[in-house]
Amino acid sequence: ASDVSVLWLPLPRSLLTCRTAEPLEYHRSFLKENCRPDGRELTEFRTTTLNIGSISTADGSALVKLGNTTIICGIKAELANPTVEAPGKGYIVPNVDLPPLCSSRFRPGPPGEEAQAASQFIADVIESSEVIKTEDLSIDRGKLCWVLYCDLMCLDYDGNILDACVIALLAALKNTRLPEVTINKETSAPEVNLEKRWELQIHKHLVSASFCIFDDSILISDPTAEEETLSTAHLTVVTDEDDRLCSVHKPGGTSLSGERLQECISRATTRQREIQKLIAKVAHSVKKAQ
Amino acid sequence: MTPSACDKSAFSTMEVCGSLTVSLREFGCEQSLLSRPDGSASFVQGDTSVMAGVYGPAEVKVSKEIYDRATLEVLVQPKVGLPSVRERSQEQCVRETCEASLLLTLHPRSSLTLILQVLHDDGSLLSCCLNAACMALMDAGLPMSCLFCGVTCAISTDGQIITDPTAAQEKESRALMTFAIDSAKHSVLMSSTKGSFSVHEVSGLMTGKKECAPFQTNKTVNAKPKRPDVTNRLH
Amino acid sequence: MTNSPCPHPDNKPFSGQPEKEKTWGGKRFRAGPVAWVIYFNMPTDTKRVRGPEVSQSPSLFSCDPAAVLPSKGPRADGRRRDQVDVRPVFVRCGLVSQAKGSAYLEAGNTKLMCCVYGPRETDRKDETDMKCGRLTTDMRFAPFSCPERGSWIQGSQDKDFSLMLHESLQPAICLHKYPRSQIEVSVMVLENSGSVLAHAVTCASLALADAGIEMYDLVLGCSMRQDGTSYVVDPSYMEENGCSSVSCENQGGLTVAFLPSLNQISGLQSDGDMTEETLTAGVRTCIEGCYKLYPVIQRALTKAVRKAAPSQSES
Repeated sequence: ASDVSVLWLPLPRSLLTCRTAEPLEYHRSFLKENCRPDGRELTEFRTTTLNIGSISTADGSALVKLGNTTIICGIKAELANPTVEAPGKGYIVPNVDLPPLCSSRFRPGPPGEEAQAASQFIADVIESSEVIKTEDLSIDRGKLCWVLYCDLMCLDYDGNILDACVIALLAALKNTRLPEVTINKETSAPEVNLEKRWELQIHKHLVSASFCIFDDSILISDPTAEEETLSTAHLTVVTDEDDRLCSVHKPGGTSLSGERLQECISRATTRQREIQKLIAKVAHSVKKAQ
Repeated sequence: MTPSACDKSAFSTMEVCGSLTVSLREFGCEQSLLSRPDGSASFVQGDTSVMAGVYGPAEVKVSKEIYDRATLEVLVQPKVGLPSVRERSQEQCVRETCEASLLLTLHPRSSLTLILQVLHDDGSLLSCCLNAACMALMDAGLPMSCLFCGVTCAISTDGQIITDPTAAQEKESRALMTFAIDSAKHSVLMSSTKGSFSVHEVSGLMTGKKECAPFQTNKTVNAKPKRPDVTNRLH
Repeated sequence: MTNSPCPHPDNKPFSGQPEKEKTWGGKRFRAGPVAWVIYFNMPTDTKRVRGPEVSQSPSLFSCDPAAVLPSKGPRADGRRRDQVDVRPVFVRCGLVSQAKGSAYLEAGNTKLMCCVYGPRETDRKDETDMKCGRLTTDMRFAPFSCPERGSWIQGSQDKDFSLMLHESLQPAICLHKYPRSQIEVSVMVLENSGSVLAHAVTCASLALADAGIEMYDLVLGCSMRQDGTSYVVDPSYMEENGCSSVSCENQGGLTVAFLPSLNQISGLQSDGDMTEETLTAGVRTCIEGCYKLYPVIQRALTKAVRKAAPSQSES
């Protein structure tokens, strides 16, 4: 299907033939003209769409589409005993899954390196930003607390899954309603009222912005899967609404100068505003519909 | 700056550099200490210690073969237990940093394996892993475009920057950042952060780490004449 | 196939009596069976972010008793009993950019997605019979798809479903046209609100058609649940798993995979205890259900083909 999509581009045939044979040359010829094969400018993000609360079996859910990339996040809350080290805290357990369904590059079986690295990244971001205070998840100090299983699943892998994951996670957390729990004084057993639910308090609204470096020098934002494989380095910047940075994640690759990094950070802050607006708009329309 | 051979126990602390106080814990390195791998090194930063071994270039599995360059695999083994998701993310960071500095195109369709065994973790583990990896790759005699070093910085609650923090300092800190810096341009190859911090702080650190870089890269340069049992120290 | 309702046996003690679950959970922590199951999951846990060793669903501690489903009168969602009353279906083709063909299906709250990759070179080189292509199926449930959270690890029920999906689809595909290659079908259940297997079959055949794989016919799936003398078509999750107070006689579930234009059945799965007459009547009911589905699926497919056509004519 991807070969067919090339054909609508109004370009000379000589250019078309080389996409499969020489993808790097193909991309370079676009970047020279300050644009990209999908018609975007270098710093442009793909259209982002958001759908909140579509999964009724989950306590909170969101589906994000970033161009073709699709991530669904479902949050399930369960009860558990807190750890001895942190008796007044709950757990947040994020996991990213890249099933063979989302791209032909993934095989069935346990998560591969990319999925594991993404899970760790999301876990780190949650911990660094304190998007949710784990203290809020405590029910009975030292005895009972909530575990939020945040399962992120990729349904269509077309690059930049980290950005989509962070948006999906934030939107799903905003959508999460936890049932009320009271501890029975006599039996000291928890009693759950599934009808009465409360909203989680979101302390930080984080948004991530990812970039790729092409040929050691050209910076592009929101890379597609093809651009990711051809580029020489990736960078993800996570910011919160106070313009503080929660993560500057660059797992290796070619070097990046300080000025370039500054550029990425300022682009990330504008992206933060865009996504904030989007989430607020969708959340508002969901509330209205209820 | 004179490299001198000495015992690990005889290390002294680092000194001041430029406007910023850059103090690193005593560090040391030993190369070619293992006989089986093609290259090996151990790197010590304070009480943090990592052992690295490199195998290759060797034959590659068909499924992992890349037609125009070598396939690099990095394995991080924790001190106890099985490697978990955290190790996997460290592996990714080290691998992509090594890939950027190694001239992998010189060995197409072959495999390189780098194994990092954590001997003790007392903070700044990722930077220690990076340093050990760089030394081991050098010891294996693999062609590289540049060297790299890892630096970890912690920002304490009162806004002070601590370079090369211990585990206790890491725990108390508000933010923790690890950078890999290349020896050619002194620019950032890898960055991994925890905790939240301002834009100002990160740009401040960028200059800070640059002052750090000559130090650390020197130490790797010093190690170049391969002398087993020699630990290199920067003074 | 067992009668266990939840696709994640990891969540359940292997008692074979899942309805009793509410009583074993009680209102107290009984870590026994849960801890035992977790122990089995341990080896693969290193590849995921770990949570606490044991956690339990809040519904186990719910103070209001679970509503007992009525065995008479209209169904919970307003559909009629003893009628071929299927839920309205929403289908869309070609949503996944990376796949050769894909389909998304929504029936009531049941939501699933299917992608088809291939035909491509087989993974297995040792296969002796290379005259004919291979079909692989993989069906998985998202952890948040069921009322109780499932584990990431594929349970035996997922494998059973994959196998049945495979058996239902294989007769419809012209595999002899794809020698030495394999076609991969993967289904992801995003929300399980009953009749998952039946809808998975429909969705998968649609995705195969969208991928341009040569087929004899589409495969449509429909399921029903017999409860004593009455039956429900396209049962919801509650209807599938809710225990009825009536006697256990003549109770069971039936899923039929049907090739509508050839008028043949490619897959049939039933569980429970049903008399011969009930079963044959049930098969007929399911076929009727499939015919109700047929125009919707056809329309979705024509729409997808139309959408793809202009770009090809330009070239």
